[in-house]
Amino acid sequence: MELKITDLTKEFGDFTAVNHLDITMGNGVYGLLGVNGAGKTTLMRMLCTLLRPTGGEITYNGKEIFKMDGEYRKILGYLPQDFGFYPEFTVHDYLIYIAAIKGIRPAVAKKRVKDLIDRVGLSKAANKKMKKLSGGMKRRAGIAQAMLNNPKVLVLDEPTAGLDPNERVRFRNLISELAEERLVLLSTHIVSDVEYIANDILLMKDGMLIHRGTVWELTDSMSENVWKCHVQKKEASQLMKEYKVSNVKSGANGIELRIISENKPIQDAVLEETNLEDVFLYYFGEKAGEQNAEV
Amino acid sequence: MLKYEIKKIFLKPVNRIVLMVLAVIILIGSFLAIRDVKYYRGENHSALSGLSAARQLKKEKNQWKGYITEEVIMRVVEENKTIKLSSDSPDNALALCQGFEDIRHLINLGFSETGNYDYYLCDNISSGKAAGLYERRISKLKEELSASGDTKTADFLVHQYEKLKTPLYYEYMEGWKALLDSQYLPTLMIITIVIIGFLVSGVFSNEFHLKADSIFFSTEFGRNKAISAKIKAGFLIITVVYWSVMLLFSAIILGVLGFDGAGCMIQAGENWSSLYNITYFQSWLLTMFGGYIGNLFILMLAMFISVISRSTVITITIPFALSCAPMFLGRIPLFTDIMNLFPDMLLRMCAFLDDLTVYEIGGKVFGVYAILIPVYLLLSFVVVPLIYCSYKKAEVK
Repeated sequence: MELKITDLTKEFGDFTAVNHLDITMGNGVYGLLGVNGAGKTTLMRMLCTLLRPTGGEITYNGKEIFKMDGEYRKILGYLPQDFGFYPEFTVHDYLIYIAAIKGIRPAVAKKRVKDLIDRVGLSKAANKKMKKLSGGMKRRAGIAQAMLNNPKVLVLDEPTAGLDPNERVRFRNLISELAEERLVLLSTHIVSDVEYIANDILLMKDGMLIHRGTVWELTDSMSENVWKCHVQKKEASQLMKEYKVSNVKSGANGIELRIISENKPIQDAVLEETNLEDVFLYYFGEKAGEQNAEV
Repeated sequence: MLKYEIKKIFLKPVNRIVLMVLAVIILIGSFLAIRDVKYYRGENHSALSGLSAARQLKKEKNQWKGYITEEVIMRVVEENKTIKLSSDSPDNALALCQGFEDIRHLINLGFSETGNYDYYLCDNISSGKAAGLYERRISKLKEELSASGDTKTADFLVHQYEKLKTPLYYEYMEGWKALLDSQYLPTLMIITIVIIGFLVSGVFSNEFHLKADSIFFSTEFGRNKAISAKIKAGFLIITVVYWSVMLLFSAIILGVLGFDGAGCMIQAGENWSSLYNITYFQSWLLTMFGGYIGNLFILMLAMFISVISRSTVITITIPFALSCAPMFLGRIPLFTDIMNLFPDMLLRMCAFLDDLTVYEIGGKVFGVYAILIPVYLLLSFVVVPLIYCSYKKAEVK
């Protein structure tokens, strides 16, 4: 199975949301990381045939997805960032309806809906109206609808946004379980989500792919080091203007900073192990004093 | 799919409320239409209304049941004069004339100047002159048309008038008159279209409004069969709600006032000048079918606009604007001819059956409804592929 993006471009007037993108993906979990406005959602919408590209193409096993039409959407599951639903439907009815428009036969749909309701932990809420569900429950209903047709391509746009830590962990585990034998493309700006479950991480900025690899490959790709240092408040402000700071922690004895820098920022700085958040900041972050800081 | 599309509409609390409002309006409309049937007793200016009035009127009017021949017309004129002369008050005279009031009204219509109805004409006309009622209908038309100079139109209208089989058959027909010759039916049609517009306004636009479009369009049938299901749901709601309302309204009125008179020509009632030679039952069928075509076209158009605009609010305003605005604009002489071709005319067919507006197309002359019904039926079906294609191409913004 191969989903190939070639020279993909999407322009909205003068604004280029996705800029000559080339990505090839097979089975596995792909984490799409980028700041807001990086073009992640636009890319995902094109992958789900919701937006037509201005240029380039997307092929699934060599066939152009827009020409495949329903044949492609048959193997597609999508959970959008703004998960819209029909508020008066019960969870069960909602899933049966989505199963119907996914072309699943009623008898199969009935069984599949029951299985998925159990799997996402909504058994007790199956007859509750969608509008009565909590944020986490809605997301679970969202992932259930995406999984109804047992998709070969599962696109999840910010699936953990707005969830509390418990729900997020639970959701991450659920996605990991579902990831076998399929392509899962997961977009988020919550770094820890992709760090735990993605095999391949794609970093997007200004509509372009700026780096790609595993967590190890990405951390290794950083040409700068990560330093931990304890300083006083006045000194901390100065350092935050001079360096990219991935973490600030105030304590009784001053402030602990996590600084990304090629050289030791201060004498007492200690070299730390690089994590994905540092990578994120390295590629996307700006120093505190910079104009138009994105993070 | 279709079941859930319909469920989406009827599960909305606001739509349920709107349907209940419609049910109440039907009941109020029926009550008012029935209440408007009056029987004057002459004593103390009192009058019966509704069912009891209908019973009395039926008894009296059916004494004149049969063909309105020259003899009958002359008898009406004579009896009218006798009653007027012998009655001690106009109220008593009115009460005594009720049995032949409809025929008396035809004589007034036939011999009054156009646009200047004279209620007392029958009191002064000679029975011999009144006997020429049917000839007068045609000669009066010819007189009016002579000034126009349009021979094709004149020939068509005269031919239509001459085709009317006379003498007209008459019997009690208060049920049909209350149903078709009052303003309640056109008003109910306008209210119905606005309410159905409310129901179908969300069929397409709600996907965008609820942000459910992303999932909808990313499914296998999201750009084909699911759109057909939406169109079918819209069509079914328009059809079922419209016919339910119209049949219920008709059944209540005719059930109370009686189905009698279904076979009488509309010219024997309030449509003396009509060029359409049809019975009351045929008029009901035509009015219902025409109203349905009008509803179908306006609401299909509203659904198409909802696909384009993605706005429920705009969609709701379309049926209201198309069914009401031309009514007012048509009062401006400049727009009168054009406004007669607007689809709202189909919602008010029963009120315009005696309108002599005709159009010449390709050398042939047609009555306005002979054009409106096929044209808007065709346009209703033309809108369907437009809805389908526009929704199929919709992108998620």
